[in-house]
This record gives sequence, C-alpha cells and structure tokens, in this order.
Amino acid sequence: MLRKTFFLVVLSSFTFAKEKTSFRSAPATENGVPVAPKVFYEKNPAGLTSDISVIVMSGSMEDPIDKIGLSNLVAEMILRGTKKRGRERFQGELERMGGALSASVSMDTIQFSGSVIKENNKKFIALLEEALLQPAFSEKDFLELKREILNDIVHVKNSNNRLGGLAARREIFKGSPLEKPGFGSKSTVEKITLADVQRRYNDFFDRPKIIFAAAAPFSENEMVQEFSRIWRQFPDGNKPVKRLVNLKVPEKPTLIVVDKPKTSTGSLFFAQPGITIQDPDRYTLSTGNFSFGGEPLVSRLFRIVRGELGWTYAIGSSYSALGGLSGQQGLFTISSTPSVEYTSKTIFKILEMWRSYMNEGLSSDELELAKESLINSYPFEFDTAAKRVSHKLTSFLYNIPILTPEEYSEKIGEISNRKLKAALTEKQKVNRWLIALVADKDVVAKDLEEYQKDVPQDERLTISKIYTPDELVN
Amino acid sequence: MNKKFIFVSAIVLLFQTTSLFSANYEKIGEKKLFNGEILSEYKLSNGLKVLFLPRHEAKVLTFQTWFDIGSLDEKMDAKLKKTGLAHLFEHMMFRGTDQYPDGKFDELTSRMGSEKQNATTFFYRTNYYESIPSNQLNKLLELESDRMANLKLDAALLDKEKGAVVGELRRALDNPGRLAWDELNRTVFEVAPFRYTVLGTEEEIKGFTLEEAQYFYKTFYAPNNATIIIVGDTEEEELMKFIVKYYGDMKAQEVPRYKMPEEPVQKRERRVEKTHPQATSDILLVGYRIPSVNSPDVVPLSLLSTHLSTGMEARLRKSLVDKGIAVSAGCEVSSVPDYLEFAVSLAEKHRAEEALEVINREVSNLKTQVIKKEDFERALNQELLSLYNMIEDNSSMANMLGDYLMVSGNYMRGFEIIDEFKKIKPIDLKTAANKYLKKDSRSVVIVRPQPKKSSRS
Repeated sequence: MLRKTFFLVVLSSFTFAKEKTSFRSAPATENGVPVAPKVFYEKNPAGLTSDISVIVMSGSMEDPIDKIGLSNLVAEMILRGTKKRGRERFQGELERMGGALSASVSMDTIQFSGSVIKENNKKFIALLEEALLQPAFSEKDFLELKREILNDIVHVKNSNNRLGGLAARREIFKGSPLEKPGFGSKSTVEKITLADVQRRYNDFFDRPKIIFAAAAPFSENEMVQEFSRIWRQFPDGNKPVKRLVNLKVPEKPTLIVVDKPKTSTGSLFFAQPGITIQDPDRYTLSTGNFSFGGEPLVSRLFRIVRGELGWTYAIGSSYSALGGLSGQQGLFTISSTPSVEYTSKTIFKILEMWRSYMNEGLSSDELELAKESLINSYPFEFDTAAKRVSHKLTSFLYNIPILTPEEYSEKIGEISNRKLKAALTEKQKVNRWLIALVADKDVVAKDLEEYQKDVPQDERLTISKIYTPDELVN
Repeated sequence: MNKKFIFVSAIVLLFQTTSLFSANYEKIGEKKLFNGEILSEYKLSNGLKVLFLPRHEAKVLTFQTWFDIGSLDEKMDAKLKKTGLAHLFEHMMFRGTDQYPDGKFDELTSRMGSEKQNATTFFYRTNYYESIPSNQLNKLLELESDRMANLKLDAALLDKEKGAVVGELRRALDNPGRLAWDELNRTVFEVAPFRYTVLGTEEEIKGFTLEEAQYFYKTFYAPNNATIIIVGDTEEEELMKFIVKYYGDMKAQEVPRYKMPEEPVQKRERRVEKTHPQATSDILLVGYRIPSVNSPDVVPLSLLSTHLSTGMEARLRKSLVDKGIAVSAGCEVSSVPDYLEFAVSLAEKHRAEEALEVINREVSNLKTQVIKKEDFERALNQELLSLYNMIEDNSSMANMLGDYLMVSGNYMRGFEIIDEFKKIKPIDLKTAANKYLKKDSRSVVIVRPQPKKSSRS
C-alpha cells in the first residue's frame, strides 16, 4: 500500500522558505499567539483526506549515547495503544475508519504523521489526542516493539547501501548521538527500559515543544480548535534546546571497508562535512552540486562515470545524506555502486573529478544549466498543499525565509562561478574524505594494489579499517 | 518492478462517449471520475492514444509515454528470442537523435525544470515520464516526439550503455530478494516468458547488436503501439494542437502480436530452495496463480490481500512481525504475471518453514471462516485511503491509468474495481480463497544465507 509521510521536515537542499502568500493557491495561516499552539495549515478544498502531523521539537540528538534509539522507541510506543484502548483496539479503530498513523524521528524532532479519509477527520483527531496524551506504555507491547526494532536493525546487514552510511557515521560522528542512526543499534536498544521511555515522554512532551501541521478540506478555525484542545492538555515545559555536534574527519582520503564477500558490485560512500540549512552559501553550493553530481542524467559524475565510462549504474552526490538539511552541520556525500572490477578506478576517478571541481568550479554551460533548471523547477516545491505546509514548518523550525519564485530566481540568478569557487574553498575540502566501501575485502585489497602498482608505497590509498556488518549493527 | 494493484473505491460515471473529429484526431471518450474530475481520451489517425486529466492547482503537469512492449515480447519475437533488449533499449532512448545528440534530451528537459524524469521497463510495457512546469509543454513534446521518431542508434553509445546496464543487473543480483523474485517467476511459469528476467543475463546484454536494437525500435516504437498520458495544468485545445503538430505525421505500422504459450495445469506444489552469498536470513515467497485483472474474482482476492497485509492490524503482521518471526510480511495481487504473492523476510535465526506454517494457517482460516465484518470494513477503508492519497499526486494518477491500461486494456479498471468492492460481501473472500489458494497449485521459493564455512578444513 502506498504510504505517505506528510510534512517531513527533511527538505532537500533546494527548498527554502519565506513567509509570503502571494504565490500560494490556497489560503495559509500561522497562529502564533502565545496561549495557543503553533499551527501550520493549508486548506485543501478538493482533498479527499485530512493529512495531519504533530511535531515534538526534540529528537534523537537528546538520546543518551548508550541508549540511541530511545526517541524512536518513545515515538513508536505512543502508537501502541492508550490507557483506554489496548493496542489492537486502538489500531483496529484507526484502520477501520480509513486512517493511518506513523511516527518518525529526526535528530531534532519526533513527528507523528497521519492521514484519514475526510469523513472521519474528527474521529481520527480524537484518537490521535488519546495516543499523544494517554499512551498505554504497556510492558508487553514494549518488549514486542523492542524485539521488532532489534530484528529491523539486524536486517540492515542485507542492505549494502545502508551499511556504507553506517560505517561513515561511526567515524565522523564518533562519541555523539549521531554516530548511529535514530533507530539506534543492537547494543543501545537492548539497554533501553520502559522506565526510560516513560521518563523521556514526561520530560519532552510539553506545550513549548509541540506544534501542529495539517492540510485538509476543512476551515482553518475548525482545525485550530481541535489542535488547541489537544495542546492545552500537555504540561508546561521548557523551550527546546538546540544541540550541535562537531564532525571528525580525516586529514586525507581514508578508506574503510565493510567486508561483504562475493559481491559483484561495490557500494561506495564518500563523506566529508556538509552545511547547515542556515548556511549563507547553501544556495551557491546546492547549485554547484546540481551540476557536479546532484542531478541524475545531467550531472558531471553521471555523464562521465556512467555515461562515458559505463562503470556504474548509479552515481550521485548530495548535501542531504542525513535525511535533509537542518541546524546541525550535515555531510556532503558521493555515492556509487560500480561493478566490482571498476571499484578502484571509480574511487580514483571520483577523487580526480572532485579536485577538478574544487579548483575550477563549473563550466559556464554547467552553471547556467543548474541555474535554469533550479529556477524553472521551483513551482514543484509548492504544487501540493502538503508541500506548502512543509515549507512553513521548515521555515519556522530553522528560522529561514520562504522565498517567492521571484526572490528565488534572483538568488539563484546571481550565483557566479567565482562565488561558487569561493564557497567551495571555504566550506569543502579537497582531500578530507572518509570513503566507506561495502565489498569483499580481499578483492578490494588486491584491486587497489594492482591499480596503484606504480604509485609510491606511502602515497597509496590503503584500507585503514575493516568492519564486519555485525559490528555496524551492534 | 514488482507491482501491486491498488484497488480503489470510486464512483465512476461513464458519460456517453463523444466523438469530436478534428483534422488529425478524434475525441473518443470523456469520463467523470468519482472525485468530479473529467478524464478525456483521444486518438490520432495514426493510432496514437492520448489520455488527458486537467488539474490547475499548480502550474505543473506530468507527461508519460507508455509503449505496449516489454520483455515478454522480445523473448517471443522470432528475430530476437532473448530478453534484456527492451530494457537496454529504454536506456538508449536517452542517447540522442540527429537534431538533439547524446545528452541533449537530458540537458534540455533539465533546463525546462523537469522533475521525476526517468523510464522503466517491465514484462508487458515500457514507460517514459517526467513532470514539468506547464509553460514548457511545447518544447517537451518536441523532444519526446523527436526521440520516438528519430532516435539515432550508435554502436559506441550502445556499448557504453551496456556497461551501465550490466552494473544495474549486478546490483540487482547482489540483492537476495531479487533472486527470490526471479526464482518465483521461473517456478510459477514453466513455459511462459515470465520465467526470463526483464533485465536479461549479462551474456545477453553484452551480446545485443546495433541491428537488433534498430529492429526493435522500428518494430515496436510505433504511434499505434503507444499511449500518452497528461495530468496537470494545460487546456485541451492547446494540448491537442501540440500533440497533432509533433506526433501527427508519424506513420502507423504493423506491430507483431504474440500468443503467450499456454502454461500446463499445475498439479502439485512446486518448491525451490536457493542460497545467496549476501543473504543474512531466509526469504520466503509463495505464489498462487490467479486470473487476470479483468476477472471479477480479482476483486475479492485484492481485498483479501489487503486484509492480510495492510496496516498494523494486518493478519500477517500480527502473526509474523509482531511475534518476532519476520522483519516484514506482505501479500499482494500481481498482474501480468498473474498471481497472489506472499513475501516474507525472516528475522535472523528463524526459518522460512515457520513463516510457511503461518501462511498455511492464515490461508486455511480464510477458507473455513468468513472474515469479521469489522475486518472487511478495515480492508475496504484502507484501500480507499490508499487510493485517495495516490490520485492526489499527478504522477501517481498517471501511473495508475497507464498501468491498468497496459495490463487490462482498460485504464478505468482501477476505478471500476472499487465499485465492485462495494458490491461484494465478506463471504466472497472465503469463496475466492477456496477457489484459488490451493496448495497443489502454488509455488514456494526459499532463499537462504550460504552456510558458513567451518573453521576446520
């Protein structure tokens, strides 16, 4: 079944916001009175569903390092029944009315996103209210959920792409709650108790941290009333605290291998520090990346490594590898899955192309292509009510403006190659790459040696660390 | 590529078909959808079909071209008798014409601000799609029609593209789930070309010649073998003016049609076990042959699959995932190939046989008991929710119309099925289960991790 998550606050690096209504096709409002909840709403007159999100401004960054995954467990437990209705009854009623509700955790939010056929809007909100305010937190459900999450974590070993990301996290965010994904690892989830879950809920689910977002075919007043009733029942509390983590990156290209015997492709994941959503160079770097590796089919990486050399099916680069830009400095990544005999060649080709990009920026054709494409595709940022709400939410969470098409066009239009090179020099590094490669370690070692046979020993790229998949999920 | 029909609830009002002749095209139908939207159908004199659904919420539109050609046809074609070319050829469609050489199509569509631009190939069809700002429609049609009529196939580019396609194939083969699905098709079908993968083998991909690619293009990429679907912000008059301008001069041609070899009746359960070096736990797939999507029996079977697999209260989730036996468990109706497919990813240290036992029990319950009214209601409303969410998006709406058109010949079939949902009763699920979910006519595929080598030699 198709599931959609509404108003995710993990926008691409091309999505920015400033509060203006002139280009919206539906009325939009924010209610910012201190005694009332923050509500971001778009009336969607033709909509057949109500799409509702409740956002708690506190995420996995608050998890203790030995209990990463706690926020995720809290979020999931809230959907597992209430004091009035056990899990089965709660889920049964929700699904019978044509509703679906899911939870997701980012580094700075816990988000409950739901959708229901419009006729059952009120019933759905009443159930959501009950879940948020009177979660059952039953021991039986907790143990069952933990087992399910642990099974999911172990299953990540099946995904070579995800293993590369896990290895890079371990190195770059070492010692912080970001060293593992928001769902945690085997060892951290095993340590979490039901008391931890209850404590986390009591400490963070309060009025200053809770906001609402919705797109529905009902009047704004009607929806705000519903949300206000829920919001008023939460206790007082403190404003969310913003926590940031420093990144640890190697001084020169450093290769770590996740050993997966007998793969016929290697899964490559280059990582170095990226940017925050508030970074003044964000538009410039995103525009540059569009033509370097961000846009499939037309980017330099795609055209050359796939189109001309035929070494790989997939290759691209991104500033959103951690799920989107946020207040935390993220990663800039290049990923690819070359056929195994091209793995070394691909690594060195990427390094060479990166050096060239850092030194020269883009050609005038590439830069113009990126600018024209970004400006022309901007309407897609606002083509549905859900996307418009998402922009408002991001604008509020990270204190960034929503740009009108004219403002956006002007902003992108003024980017020059000189400006791009300056931003690259300031924000990116030529050599400070952590390269995670998921492949057969013996094949990689042999291939690297063969490829670098004419390179002096001390200048060679060698495997600096080997992980097993088990280590990465533990 | 694996797909599920999302059977949807809708009140479809079939308006009297109107015929509005123009110089080069005919409006052959207009249908009012359950949500009030009007879908129009046109046909050019060269046989090209056009479906158009106007939407003006934003100044964007989705444009898709569907060709009634997939990997099944190439395997049955006397000159080819291989698979993989339909897919490789799909890649070549981005490799240029005389007017717009290699790279130009991508560059120009990118400049116009296209989103979600790509193409896919499956057993029974190939589709090309993108979404664009609506003021770029004229240019897009020029580019799309140019590659449909004037593709320049180049041997050097074909070789380069083979490298990328081999990479795609290898990436797929590194995925144990993919092996399981390929094995299921090989097991369910003894003679029909579903038993051959859409991507083909590495040997087949590397062996395709320029002549074969040219033959494929000239034979199957004809206007009378294609349907264009547009959902979004444009007007009928402008759209059809451009369509006639860019596609009107293409010539219809004879497109070969192949008769699918008839599968022998399956008399006993087929079971296959494989290992995969990348698998870390068992994967179980079970396929029960069912009729085509046009059969009324597909309606209860679809609801039955939703009952089993959609939502937190789905039977398979409760009995497999909640119990810690599996990481995921699903059941879906697949069409072309037609089967009801159970798919379970086992949790580590659990065996596929445990999941098979649960599936047997659930199937047995469906055969002996009528599902509760509230479970029936749950399945029906989850289907509605899924439909409502899906059709809101221009691309998803176009996908749904195109896919139903290709598998059933009737793009409205998805909407019709929802009407049929409302007419059936819980007991119809029991009847369908007894008719189709027979152990003797199912195929079971298990993919396991490779045994670990002993430390002692």
